[in-house]
Amino acid sequence: MDLGQFLSIFISSVFIYNVILSRFLGLCSFIAVSKETKPALSMGLAVLFVISMSSIITWLIYTYLLIPFNITYLRTISFILVIAAFVQLLEILIRKFTPGLYKVFGIYLPLITCNCAVFGVAVLNSDMFFVNNKAVPGSFIYSLFQGICVSIGYTLAMLLMSGIRERLELCNIPKSVREFPLAFVIASLMGLAFMGFNGFKF
Amino acid sequence: MPNRLKVAVSPHIHKPVSVSKIMWSVSLSLIPAGIAGAFIFGFPALWITVISLITAVTTEAVIQKLTNKKISIKDGSAFLTGLLLAYNLPPSVPFWIPVVGSFFSIAIGKMIFGGLGQNIFNPALAGRAFLMASWPSYMTSFTGPLKFDAVTSATPLALLKEGKPLGDVSYMDMFLGLRGGCIGEVCIIALLIGAAYLLFRRYINWQIPFTFILTVGLFTWICGPRGFLTGDGIFHVLSGGLILGAFFMATDYVTSPLTINGQIIFAFGCGLLTAIIRLWGGYPEGVSYAILIMNAATPIIDRFTKTRVYGIVRY
Amino acid sequence: MTEKQQNRCFQEFIKGIIRENPTFVLALGLCPTLAVSTSVSNAIGMGAASTFVLIGSNLIVSLIKKQIPEEIRIPCYIVIIATFVTVVELIMKAYSPALNRALGIYVPLIVVNCIVLGRAEAFASKRTFVHSFMDALGMGIGFTLALMIISIIREFFGFGKIINYPVSYNFHPALVIGMPAGALLVIGLLLGFFNLIKQKK
Repeated sequence: MDLGQFLSIFISSVFIYNVILSRFLGLCSFIAVSKETKPALSMGLAVLFVISMSSIITWLIYTYLLIPFNITYLRTISFILVIAAFVQLLEILIRKFTPGLYKVFGIYLPLITCNCAVFGVAVLNSDMFFVNNKAVPGSFIYSLFQGICVSIGYTLAMLLMSGIRERLELCNIPKSVREFPLAFVIASLMGLAFMGFNGFKF
Repeated sequence: MPNRLKVAVSPHIHKPVSVSKIMWSVSLSLIPAGIAGAFIFGFPALWITVISLITAVTTEAVIQKLTNKKISIKDGSAFLTGLLLAYNLPPSVPFWIPVVGSFFSIAIGKMIFGGLGQNIFNPALAGRAFLMASWPSYMTSFTGPLKFDAVTSATPLALLKEGKPLGDVSYMDMFLGLRGGCIGEVCIIALLIGAAYLLFRRYINWQIPFTFILTVGLFTWICGPRGFLTGDGIFHVLSGGLILGAFFMATDYVTSPLTINGQIIFAFGCGLLTAIIRLWGGYPEGVSYAILIMNAATPIIDRFTKTRVYGIVRY
Repeated sequence: MTEKQQNRCFQEFIKGIIRENPTFVLALGLCPTLAVSTSVSNAIGMGAASTFVLIGSNLIVSLIKKQIPEEIRIPCYIVIIATFVTVVELIMKAYSPALNRALGIYVPLIVVNCIVLGRAEAFASKRTFVHSFMDALGMGIGFTLALMIISIIREFFGFGKIINYPVSYNFHPALVIGMPAGALLVIGLLLGFFNLIKQKK
């Protein structure tokens, strides 16, 4: 476990393999919620919380349940169930105990249940930090850190995109590319810009 | 009948400055660098610039014709984009590279957003990033200045990245442009003459270029190769496309923030990203990527540096 | 089966291909569309896998829709879908490991593909067994066709190949089209193009 590893996880999951611009996970929510800055930020916060929690939970399940009983082929089914249940539970708890927080990001939680990004990170963690069904040293910390970095990348892309789309409200965009098509083109240009980080070495 | 009345809040001061005048002035101020490039690299440099200009202007005219809009190629913005794109290309690229690049710059970088003044990214840099990702081998092979009779030679930054000796390129050579590089970025003195004209006419302000260059210089000096404060800041300022980028591309009205505070944040971000990519990134040069990334952040910067409207309660 | 019923079945099948094309019209399930459309063979593999999951989950959901309690229907659908995805994963690992490697994490990610859940929720939970099957088949084929269109474009411009055969040595493909940024560009321009056609009509 060293600093270089953490830095490379950070750069690669925030910029190079940005969860939205490069891996295309959570694209639906990216296009749908990025019309204004405030909801985009709240969504980013919600995703950050859910992804970090689900990274922990799925790591625990994978290490202490799926591997010892040799049932790793149940990964897909168990991860998606646990994530769905966890998000539902979280929504209920937040609504009950902290109505203020619920107003800020609780309403986005149902959207996250089926967000590919959450599930994708869980699968990615179990692919990257487990070799031949054995956890690599420090895999727990790496998984959690990767989860956090992926959500930072998600929030960054959301924030930039929402700012751009707020500005585009005032523009005279050709009719046929309004909304979706242009959002994709902008995302593509952002992806081109982020390519500047390719091949990072420390 | 169209509404001929213009309603505006006082005071009304008329300044004989128009968009097209600014565009043509910026283009004019870039001419010395182009002439220098043509002298340093020979005929191909001129050839590429002309192809790029023709494609850019034609693309804009054709798209406006097809979408039944007023053809506005006389305002000089397409000309400027074509010029800037050509200046960002190595002189040895095949002729179709500026064609594809200019077409992408104008069509995807600008017209798809609705034309002049509405694009988010600097069109020329978007075109360059597209070319860079598509044909990296052409975009990173440079011919040296004619003086050295060299067939190919890497740019000083590329040599630095690969850890090779820089040879006998002095600061003076770099200042005059006697090094490998893109057509319009090499001759610093010619660029500075153009920049001085723009600053004098107040078409650009000093905050963006100054902050940008200073940040790159300081950061590369502080994070040197042999530890703290051992970097060669002057080398980094003079090499690559920093001067071209800082004076002529980061200052683009459309894609940079509105307020002075916003512009300083923008320029600082550009400088920091440039230095980070140069020092640790996979590419030798980061100016264009840094400006593109900060272009994407411009609306957000604008949002948070909005001047407070008098009498409105802040919440 | 009367002629009218047959006609109805055919309608359910054909709508997924053009009028309600999941990718270009409904804009659903874009993550795998963009990620695996780098070559036509990947696209066909992904399309086939998704079609299998779609048909399986639609059939089961329409069969047991009466037994599923209203409140927990979504988790039930997810379990059904995840089961079929696991089946696909295991089959693919056993019979074409190369395809499995090429598709990577996007195979398990079929489980969160909005098309599958969307069809289960919007169609199969209300309609008959036969109609659900036709709907799933149509949607699956529509999805596969869309994937193939995108991948043909990307393979040609990005790698200079048509279904794995190089076009010409003088053709310099724009590598970026094969990269993620190019995928976003191609889908954006295609969606714009289809909008243009729709407006012209």
